[in-house]
Amino acid sequence: MTLFHFGNCFSLAYFPYFITYKCSGLSEYNAFWRCVQAGATYLFVQLCKMLFLATFFPTWEGGAGVYDFVGEFMKATVDLADLLGLHLVMSRNAGKGEYKIMVAAMGWATAELIMSRCIPLWVGARGIEFDWKYIQMSFDSNISLVHYIAMAAVVWMFTRYDLPKSFRLPVTILLGLCVYKGFLME
Amino acid sequence: MFEEASEVLENMLKWSLPLSLVLFLVLVCPLRAEAAHEFSVYRMQQYDLQGQTYGSRNAILNTEARTVEAEVLSRRCVMMRLADFSYEKYQKALQQSAGAVVIILPQNMSTMPQDIVQQFMELEPELLATETIVPVYFALEDEELLSIYTQTQISSSSQGSSSAAEVLLHTATANGFQMVTSGAQSKAVSDWAITSLEGRLSGAGGEDLPTIVLVAHYDSFGVAPWLSYGADSNGSGVAILLELARLFSRLYSYKRTHAGYNLLFFLSGGGKFNYQGTKRWLEDNLDHTDSSLLQDNVAFVLCLDTLGNSDNLYLHVSKPPKEGSPQHVLLKELETVVTHQHPDLKFSMVHKKINLADDTLAWEHERFGIRRLPAFTLSHLESHRSPARHSIMDMRSVSSSLEGAGEATAGPHVDLTKLRRNTKVIAETLARVIYNLTEKGVSGDLEIFTEQMQVQEDQLASLVDWLTAQPRAAQLLDKDSSIVNTLEYYLNHYLKDVKRHLVRADKRDPEFVFYDQLKQTMNAYRVKPAIFDLLLAFCIAAYLGVLYLAIQNFGLLYSFLRRVTAPRVKQH
Repeated sequence: MTLFHFGNCFSLAYFPYFITYKCSGLSEYNAFWRCVQAGATYLFVQLCKMLFLATFFPTWEGGAGVYDFVGEFMKATVDLADLLGLHLVMSRNAGKGEYKIMVAAMGWATAELIMSRCIPLWVGARGIEFDWKYIQMSFDSNISLVHYIAMAAVVWMFTRYDLPKSFRLPVTILLGLCVYKGFLME
Repeated sequence: MFEEASEVLENMLKWSLPLSLVLFLVLVCPLRAEAAHEFSVYRMQQYDLQGQTYGSRNAILNTEARTVEAEVLSRRCVMMRLADFSYEKYQKALQQSAGAVVIILPQNMSTMPQDIVQQFMELEPELLATETIVPVYFALEDEELLSIYTQTQISSSSQGSSSAAEVLLHTATANGFQMVTSGAQSKAVSDWAITSLEGRLSGAGGEDLPTIVLVAHYDSFGVAPWLSYGADSNGSGVAILLELARLFSRLYSYKRTHAGYNLLFFLSGGGKFNYQGTKRWLEDNLDHTDSSLLQDNVAFVLCLDTLGNSDNLYLHVSKPPKEGSPQHVLLKELETVVTHQHPDLKFSMVHKKINLADDTLAWEHERFGIRRLPAFTLSHLESHRSPARHSIMDMRSVSSSLEGAGEATAGPHVDLTKLRRNTKVIAETLARVIYNLTEKGVSGDLEIFTEQMQVQEDQLASLVDWLTAQPRAAQLLDKDSSIVNTLEYYLNHYLKDVKRHLVRADKRDPEFVFYDQLKQTMNAYRVKPAIFDLLLAFCIAAYLGVLYLAIQNFGLLYSFLRRVTAPRVKQH
């Protein structure tokens, strides 16, 4: 299964990002460095979230079967920080709307990809044992790319002051969905 | 400003160093994938005896699994279940130069029908006789292993059959298994010491008393050393010897019953490898020491070998005893005891000359016979070639209690009532010999070992249970092993002058050589065939192509969506 399989999973995960970067015209704007900045912001936000969670939410002791709604709800709320992070990235970048969205989303999603998917793939997909979950993981990263683009777009829309009133509510709902996605899935 | 920047940079470097170290370790360290299933496997014997090599030579394997039905077996690991095992299949695997053979044994041997067990027992020496470079392993079956086996069987038997499309589908869905062992190649163990133990009970009244020697070898033998428990052969012999030690030490502790014979008890090691322990002990005692009990007046030597079952008793001799000799006395006393006290037991003498041209000696008494000491072996087996002496099927004891024996156990085993009866026969006979009871006119019906002196079945049961709780192959028992230590402790409790005796193989011309890597952990990894990878790569390339086109022409998609949603806006 070795290296070839790893190559398969790697290409499945990374190439869409590459394609998106090339084809969305970002390269014309010399956006590479800005994407990296967005990635750095992602790292920073994740670090803050982890520190916050570790400090204020001790491990909940109690039965294993009962789902701690309140606790998990609080934890999911912390994911609001994600949105704040995206907003921060976009506000620092001057330029057109789509440009800002794309840069923020690309950088963010790439950073997430590298951090959370690279090592499991390296260690797992290279082994002798075959498991479908590595293909799943790679495909999942594609989906999260689209998800982050959408999220960045919604955040941007939220902050626009010239947004027609009728759109405000759906936008808010969508934002809420983004944040509590994990929570709702449970 | 620059100082700040440089400070930041320095901090970054400091942080990145451990990170890069971790990365480096991750990249360099060997792959440890999770196994689909991990199980212990026990390798077939590998040893050299007197220059002749036996058994499987190789230990490592890293091959795909197949069952016997598959057409291509070369460089594959062939898996067989005991129920389907046959010598022809085994030969077929070897001829096609298979990578390895794994034989799956059931957890509970008693579920196997008698004829399969018998057949396997007869095949064991043949498996060992053909020296092979293919590693042969035995594994105990559990659910996961069974499922691995059935999956492999399905894929093996369907291999040569179908069309290209079916093969493609098959590769996408099938699960192959890669069998990997974790150990190294097997190599000879240097300087292995086989331990033997001796102890004595001195007779009453002065020097120059005749000596009776009681011998039993405590190791066991089977096609896989880690699976040789040797319940009957020779766990029963050891149990009887220890029980006799207990009884006679009791008799000898009272002045009135202290007989005029020295009793020497000897637990020999390496018995299944042509009685190495006994051989060296005799050499040391007869050639290298000035005075030893063995040199002077030896009445006879009685070797106990496989006495845990059946209603037959055979006294094996290499020379029929002459009238009037102590050996003849023993023979007569045995006959007396059997006819008067245990008429259900069938006793006879078997005469077999020592054949020095054979590879190995038949019974242990032949070692003594070569050194001109009168010796017998007592056994319930008629022939030394009986497969019950070298089988892994010889496992834990079954006590046929009065409440009713459970299922009849296939294969050799120890029957505790019969073991007790045999112990009693031997004890009574020895008592009659050392107290000279027949000459004094005591009738054959008198039983000495009754009430407080009786042979304790519980004692025998616990001894046999302890002996069969772990494998006792000679390769596994070095001088520090717990079995040797416990035997020494037990002997010390009842006998005097308990000594250890070590046998090490000669450096230049070794009589025996043992090899290691006898127990391994085998991992079965689920793998997909190589074609699957290519197929997957093709699919991913197609997917990426579609994605590329979609993104390139995103504009089209977007305008299409606008057109769809636009009429609604216009209406609004």
